[in-house]
Amino acid sequence: MSEDHHVATERHNPELTIGISAEYLAGKRFDYQEDIAASADVDLLESTPGQDINWLEDVMLLAEDGVPAVFDRYSNSFIKIYFDIPAGHEDEVARKVLMKHLQSGNSYGIQLKRDHCKFPQPELGPWVKNSATVGTNWVPSVLPGWESPEGH
Amino acid sequence: MDALTGENQIVYDARGLVEPDCEVPKVAKIDGEKATFDALDLTTRQINLELRWLINEEGVTDVTVHNPGAKHSLGVGLLTRCKITFEGSLGYFGLGIIDGPEVHIKGRVGWSACENMMSGTVVVEGNAGSLTGAAMRGGDLIVKGRLGARSGIDQKGGTILTMGSVGANTGFMMQRGRQVIVGDAGHGLGDSMYDGIIYVGGKVRSLGIDCVPGEWTDADTEFIDRKFRIYDLGTPPTFQKFVCGKKLHNYDNLEASERKLVL
Repeated sequence: MSEDHHVATERHNPELTIGISAEYLAGKRFDYQEDIAASADVDLLESTPGQDINWLEDVMLLAEDGVPAVFDRYSNSFIKIYFDIPAGHEDEVARKVLMKHLQSGNSYGIQLKRDHCKFPQPELGPWVKNSATVGTNWVPSVLPGWESPEGH
Repeated sequence: MDALTGENQIVYDARGLVEPDCEVPKVAKIDGEKATFDALDLTTRQINLELRWLINEEGVTDVTVHNPGAKHSLGVGLLTRCKITFEGSLGYFGLGIIDGPEVHIKGRVGWSACENMMSGTVVVEGNAGSLTGAAMRGGDLIVKGRLGARSGIDQKGGTILTMGSVGANTGFMMQRGRQVIVGDAGHGLGDSMYDGIIYVGGKVRSLGIDCVPGEWTDADTEFIDRKFRIYDLGTPPTFQKFVCGKKLHNYDNLEASERKLVL
């Protein structure tokens, strides 16, 4: 995993970017963004409900900032893909990279669950069997030093 | 002190939930990974708490709910892989925001079933009301009866397949995804759609603004055949295909932030 200069610049100066990438949110790039073999073991049928790939049917290879990318709807961010994608397998590769990102718990939306989800649900989402349940004891967040305005 | 009338009678907790002190009824009969319970005397919140308790805390993966009684908002917010069978009909807003469940409803559903559905499969044996699959984002919604007006309004993904006819303005402002209508379609089909595909096996009373016939491809044939095979729907009829004419909205010219909203 590496942290390139571009990502570091974005993190220190958020106003420089209008897009949001997964590596920007994480502060690092993941191996499955750079190596096709890192997501080759993902079983798309096993990872999705029903008898076909279900919701992944709507997931396709896109581009962000001129780089091939797949969109992670759980964090509203793009996962950029830096390896060469075999022709004819664009969408399949994009789906595997996305699923690897979700199953490994690296999606920022999943990380937010630990502190903020209000209802019981699997931490890693419906794509991982026997994932721990989070959200069983939600309490409202309290900002230190904050008091409600008078009259509220 | 104000009189407790209308909405003032409702007590909400910090999450916006009514019945904040409601306890999980724990009435289900659990047999390994399967469970069944009778919802006849339970409130909406009790039924949903029971479902979440079974699925999230008891390791149950297959739940049968008897006598759902067309209560509203049943089965909402279930975010895990599981199988749920409702032995009866659901009211309004059933199965909203689900992500993963495979649901079988042996009855009808009211307005707005599967609103914002993220993934999973839902099979409705009867009819479905208006706004079914509103803002749906993924998964398969199969309605074996007829569908009301504005089904799939603002649809952003997934498949809505109905074996019967559909009402007016089906696919209104559809942005992605697919609708398969075996029967007839009412007025204003696909009105103001941005993207997505609508297949119609019967007659179309009128097309909405910027909804135009599309060119059939092998991918369309593969998709239709696969869905009919998976859900055991018999031999598919010959369909007409409709898409966005791209005259009203130019999806490619949307601002990046707007584009993300429909992904």
